[in-house]
Amino acid sequence: MKELKEQLINRIKAHFPDITVENNFNYNRFDVSINKESIHSILFYLKDVMGFKHLSDTNCVDWLEEGEFEIVFIVWSPAEKIKIFVRTRIDRNNPVLETLDMIWPQLHTYEREFREMFGIQFTGLEAPDEFILEDWQGPPPYRRDFDTAAFAAETFFERPGREDAEDVREAITKLTGEEIPEFAKKYSR
Amino acid sequence: MINDKNSQKIVDIIQNWARQHSIWVLAYGTGCGAIELPPTMTSRYDAERLGVRGAATPRQADVLLITGYLTTKTLKRVIRVYEQMQDPKYVVGFGSCTINGGMYYDSYNTIKVLDKYLPVDVYINGCMPRPEAVLSGFAKLQERIAEGRAEGAKKYKENLEWYRANQKKIIPNWVMPDYNW
Ligand code: SF4
Repeated sequence: MKELKEQLINRIKAHFPDITVENNFNYNRFDVSINKESIHSILFYLKDVMGFKHLSDTNCVDWLEEGEFEIVFIVWSPAEKIKIFVRTRIDRNNPVLETLDMIWPQLHTYEREFREMFGIQFTGLEAPDEFILEDWQGPPPYRRDFDTAAFAAETFFERPGREDAEDVREAITKLTGEEIPEFAKKYSR
Repeated sequence: MINDKNSQKIVDIIQNWARQHSIWVLAYGTGCGAIELPPTMTSRYDAERLGVRGAATPRQADVLLITGYLTTKTLKRVIRVYEQMQDPKYVVGFGSCTINGGMYYDSYNTIKVLDKYLPVDVYINGCMPRPEAVLSGFAKLQERIAEGRAEGAKKYKENLEWYRANQKKIIPNWVMPDYNW
């Protein structure tokens, strides 16, 4: 498998010299990072020429500290039984990418999700603004600087907890005469 | 029709007795909880011996089970369903998510306290409540109906403005019809 991976990497590198390859997995996977201008061509190349026909998954990673979003495409070749993680990074403050749904139509759905959850704009994406969230008015919720707990606390009602913070397990055992097993004792307060 | 107070009482008792033994549950599930209903309804636990059975549409149903967490999106549908139901109607909150948010307490899109949005008659706690707990919840509901204390629908009608205000707080685009029951 190692030789096969090397071969494939060399073939990709011949066309896209500016990629960085990570190939230290001892199973059927290697990673390719590329700048966002070439992402269309490498995906087209992998799909149409090299037989990586299947898009397994697409995901977005928020690198808050580095001010970037990373979009990862996982493509799979049924013939070679190899999967490639194709990564590209875009600016977090101006997250714009051209739509990719002409390569795999199912990317359409993923792009709508990224747009809603991360606020990434895809130029040329023809879809209604709303995807899963309805009437959403806050910032894109999957961004790491979005504080879900604070947002929830201020948007929704909260039920106050018991003030005494008592362990009710003992009260229940007294009531029912049931014994607490040894292993459970160490979890009760 | 009947003005005499005592005869009204007798009618109420008979009505409540009848209602207590025919609880039709709307076949509608949210969250994880609906998965506990098939075992509750089928032969192992056989909820039908208490008169609990499924109903196909809101108009035929007596009980709305909120089986778990409610996203704001689902809440909209649930409110609409609840308002379509005919009297008598009851709401059963199912699982810790309806009580205090459960493990979704910090989610940006799920409500935490159901009784601020809909009048809840009985809560069943647990994450998830097992069929035994569900049955005991239904038994409790029957008890309350028999005593004439399951008055969520009345409370909802009387305090509609308060409920509406809470609902509209998290559903800004209110495009729902008004029902006049
Ligand atoms: S209470 Fe537990 S089982 Fe029920 S909806 Fe919430 S998380 Fe799911």
